[in-house]
Amino acid sequence: MSEVRKHNELGSRRKAYREIQQETRKKAKSTRFQDDSSISKSGSEEPISASELNKNQIELPRKRFYRQRAHSNPFSDHCLDYPTSPDSMEWKNMYPGFYDKERDEMTSQVEIADIGCGYGGLMIKLAPEFPQQLILGMEIRVQVTQYVEDRIIALREQNQHTNGYQNISVLRGNAMKFIPNFFHKGQLQKMFFCFPDPHFKQRKHKARIITNTLLSEYAYVLREGGIVYTITDVEDLHLWMVKHLEAHPMFERLSKEWEQQDKCVEIMYNATEEGQKVTRNKGSKFVACFKRLPTPEDTE
Amino acid sequence: MKHPFQIVLSDQDGHVFTSVKNEILVFNTDGQRIGHWIDPLDKSVTLKKQQEEKIKQLSEKKLKTNDETPIKIPKIPVPGLGAPPLYNYIRSLSVRNDILVGTTDSDKAVVIFRIDFSNNIGNCLCLIKRQVLPKRPCAVSQNDKVVVVADKFGDVYTVSIDLNEPVEDKALAPILGHVSMLSDVLITTRDDGKSFILTADRDEHIRVTNYPKSYVIKSWLFGHREFILSLVIPEFNRDLLISGGGDNYVLLWNWYDNKLLDQVDIRTLIEPFLNDSHLPPERFLTEDSVKEVTVSNIISYAEYFYVVCENTKCINGFKIDAGDGFKVNHIQTLTTQHSIVDITLDKLKNQLIACFDTEDEHKLLAGFAIADDGLLQQQEQSKALTNISDANECLVESRDDFYPLYYTSTLRKRSDH
Repeated sequence: MSEVRKHNELGSRRKAYREIQQETRKKAKSTRFQDDSSISKSGSEEPISASELNKNQIELPRKRFYRQRAHSNPFSDHCLDYPTSPDSMEWKNMYPGFYDKERDEMTSQVEIADIGCGYGGLMIKLAPEFPQQLILGMEIRVQVTQYVEDRIIALREQNQHTNGYQNISVLRGNAMKFIPNFFHKGQLQKMFFCFPDPHFKQRKHKARIITNTLLSEYAYVLREGGIVYTITDVEDLHLWMVKHLEAHPMFERLSKEWEQQDKCVEIMYNATEEGQKVTRNKGSKFVACFKRLPTPEDTE
Repeated sequence: MKHPFQIVLSDQDGHVFTSVKNEILVFNTDGQRIGHWIDPLDKSVTLKKQQEEKIKQLSEKKLKTNDETPIKIPKIPVPGLGAPPLYNYIRSLSVRNDILVGTTDSDKAVVIFRIDFSNNIGNCLCLIKRQVLPKRPCAVSQNDKVVVVADKFGDVYTVSIDLNEPVEDKALAPILGHVSMLSDVLITTRDDGKSFILTADRDEHIRVTNYPKSYVIKSWLFGHREFILSLVIPEFNRDLLISGGGDNYVLLWNWYDNKLLDQVDIRTLIEPFLNDSHLPPERFLTEDSVKEVTVSNIISYAEYFYVVCENTKCINGFKIDAGDGFKVNHIQTLTTQHSIVDITLDKLKNQLIACFDTEDEHKLLAGFAIADDGLLQQQEQSKALTNISDANECLVESRDDFYPLYYTSTLRKRSDH
């Protein structure tokens, strides 16, 4: 009985913590998607910088209050917020540091996507490596996304003097269904798939993030020469991903030598929360990277 | 009373194809029945398949254990009381030249028939292939060589039109896929010889994919906010596309250039014809629920097109004005006697043929003549259409025994988590 009570109490403490954080977050960002009915007045709502809201130094959020079960059904109709097309996506509230107010346009676009970014470790390590490129994390679990959001708000606040972490952002979304709503053809340079849900059961294989049919969508949003990075601790899944990527005519595997000289591979190997967990448990990690090949000439 | 026809279809020579439950009927221009086919499989097929699977699993297990006792044959599973009702009907039909393609419920198959119109007395339908698919097929399209099938799981397969044995369903590989239920598919070839597949899904997406290199996506057409049900390429300009579904509007595109050309409001036109059946299901009903509009059929004829909304007693006619940057103008709202279940264009007689949701067993079909200016006029029931109505032999006790004629409200997203 006391166990149950303890559990409930803990649950409500987590909830209370998240509610407070939500207030801060709400103020730090305004609506993200362009409301079609008010195109003319868009831009009037300036995102308030976190420092104006809270004079106290914003602390990094505590992960333990945001835990959520590791699986989510990609086929279900979650209440998702997604733009009706890439053109209606409002990036400026997510990356205010890369928004040119006078010209009312972004000075840079998202070119790196971390699909299923989890707690955001990879993005945070990538941010200083690619200071001029925008990095977007997509995560399907609500609370995990909120954690990453709060983490970015705090990091931006703490690094105001260097303008750090202005180039990373996160959104909750179902990449398997809606990736073309966010990105134009050939917009991305790198896509990361780190420690995806293995979906062991045969009948669940369509729920995997790498499938024959989805790879065509990734090839669409990636530019020629763009890179797909995969890493997992489940060997079966690794073999599955390699098999499908190798079989897909738009991708070609990159060599071990290439992997060794690429700094993203190194970051991916060590930076993600899942990756660190695997290291702690002395598990193996399997890496495979693929290059997006040129579009065949007789196609459009 | 008779079960209404669920599908009506016509080819370029005025033959009429209808379907009621698991039966396909073919008629000549006089309404004489020249072909028919009843799906010999019943709804227990899937259950028997499950039983076979289990037996297979058990025998494999037994092999490993070296057990000598014979395995216990499991029973055919019986659906419980709360299980959803099983239906067994032809969900879609498509005809091109002498090839008729349908999809069955029983074993989730595509059935391909060669039609021999010279066979006037016997049965003009000859089943040449029955290809079972892994998931339930939703829509079909065809060119001279292949049938393109889109399924409920979001995958698209091709089945070649030939006499070869069907492939084991597990060995089939999709040529493309969405992570969403597909609602319509079209395969089309442009004048330059390039082919494309257009697919529409429940997540508001219309996708244009190269064919046969279907791993190269050309574009997505963004504009719908609700599920899509119907895609139509008009014959007078095959780069155009008309699309509709759960939205209050129908869209006209140049699909090849990825341009939205016009958006026509359907809701205002259809509002007077909506009734309580258009409200959301009870579970989602609130005081400010609005009646839901669903475009169920779009028929294209020259520069005109006609729109039918689910469970409404009217047809709306529109004209595409090619001179004016392809703008769409409404030309007519024609009230019909009954709700329209399905509708087709009979090119030979320049008429639309609709199948009605009616208990009047002699008037299951109605013809609407198309005048030169695109306006429709209901005709006196022709002998041919009466003959077709009379050829429907599917008797039911009451309306309760009808198969669901309107089922799209389940496609609307109502999630709250």
